[in-house]
Amino acid sequence: MAIITISRQNGSLGDEIADALASRLGTIVISRKYALDNFFGEINPGTLDRLNESAKFFDMALPGSDRTYADILVERIRALASESKDKDLVILGMGGSVLLSGFPGAIHVRVTASETTRLNTIAKKYRITTDEASEVLDIGDRKHRKFVRTVYGKDITSPEQFDLILNTDRLSVDECVDAIVELARKHDMRVKLAESNESSNTIDHQTRNISFKNETEEEFARILSLYNIEWLYEPKTFPVEWDAEGNVTMAISPDFYLPKFNLYLELTTMDQRYVTKKNKKMRLVKELYPGTNIRIVYKKDFNELVDRLKMFGGFGDNS
Amino acid sequence: MKNLEEALNTERVVYSEETIQARIKELGSQITKDFYGKELVVIGVIKGSLYFLSDLTRAIDLPVKIDMVGFSSIPDTTSKTGIVRITKDVDIDITDKHVLVVEDVIRTGLTTAYIIQNLEMKKPRDITLCSMLLNPDRLLMTIPVKYYGFEINDLWLAGYGLDRDEIGRNLPYIAQIPKKK
Repeated sequence: MAIITISRQNGSLGDEIADALASRLGTIVISRKYALDNFFGEINPGTLDRLNESAKFFDMALPGSDRTYADILVERIRALASESKDKDLVILGMGGSVLLSGFPGAIHVRVTASETTRLNTIAKKYRITTDEASEVLDIGDRKHRKFVRTVYGKDITSPEQFDLILNTDRLSVDECVDAIVELARKHDMRVKLAESNESSNTIDHQTRNISFKNETEEEFARILSLYNIEWLYEPKTFPVEWDAEGNVTMAISPDFYLPKFNLYLELTTMDQRYVTKKNKKMRLVKELYPGTNIRIVYKKDFNELVDRLKMFGGFGDNS
Repeated sequence: MKNLEEALNTERVVYSEETIQARIKELGSQITKDFYGKELVVIGVIKGSLYFLSDLTRAIDLPVKIDMVGFSSIPDTTSKTGIVRITKDVDIDITDKHVLVVEDVIRTGLTTAYIIQNLEMKKPRDITLCSMLLNPDRLLMTIPVKYYGFEINDLWLAGYGLDRDEIGRNLPYIAQIPKKK
């Protein structure tokens, strides 16, 4: 499940990226047109023209209501995001990055391109001269900025609100979609893992930058990557003992989590005297957190794995 | 010139030809029953599963399609361990088909996990695993091994597809060999 908002400069292929992304994810694009068609009930043609023409009309109250079009827009998009538990959602424009800022799991993308690229795209698309395209760009960009400023009081061009900024000067629509899908997939994995702590009383231990404790962990990570097996490093802490006041006195943060296999792996390649203590912790994890798959990688397993893989050109069957 | 047993320095027979064939008949009957009326593609993993795949498929009384996959590690200048590559992909379209992956031995399960991940990209209906030998104590990955011939421990073995430095696959039974120094 991914919620992806796309903000774009005119002529940057942002609309095309949103369409291709939605098609790839098997969903539809929630655009301004979609909002006008679906969020506000029946709108008379005059009002529709005004809403299409200028952002300031979103501050108008709906007929017979004290709520504005902007209020309804915000409410409906947030509702869509909240309800999209197992579905993908692509929101194009409408200040989605502002609207869903900090929304768990949402990825905010900005699509840009140089003025030359954008002029050429617009000129080609509408079969107009680059001078005419320049005017189209000016008006379009102004409208986008104004919409977000008027409705939310924010600047849509400020980069810090985006997780990913794509420049389509050299990137194709397909390449951009690949990048967004992969980012959304990985991020969703981290978000789901973090959310799982709420129900299991475990502690989120995820960091944005991996720092291995020793070379063995680093080598093991390399082995997993070599096998194309996705891993997260020390993403969760399982408390296993508490004192009378409920303070955690013993916990374990397994070294690796393999999302595809829903499996935690703990390396014990250090002094084998610690193995007994680790075995105890593992047993407690299994008891206290039923359904958790957790296994120890012993020194012997690890060394044999590394030795076998060093023999380039094929795996012996004893590996 | 040494014969095969001498070359391998075999210590004892772990599973005889008769024992292997009897177990394969049982596995074949079970698979026949489980996949009756279903479209099944049996995929052997090169090279270890060579003999097991050959005997097992002949013990399955269903119109199965047969293919093989192969992979190996190749050197990579950026890593001590190289990278894993598919060297022989499946030729048969497995989209929406039931797939039975046949291996000679599953120990840590890392290679099996790699193969499953690659096959999954081809969107089969499901993937089931069948291994001649399984070492449950060393299995790291949570992989669905539905069928297996025999459970083993940390013995070093050769024969019936299993090799040591490419020697020993054609030994008709499974033997214990000395651990490599």
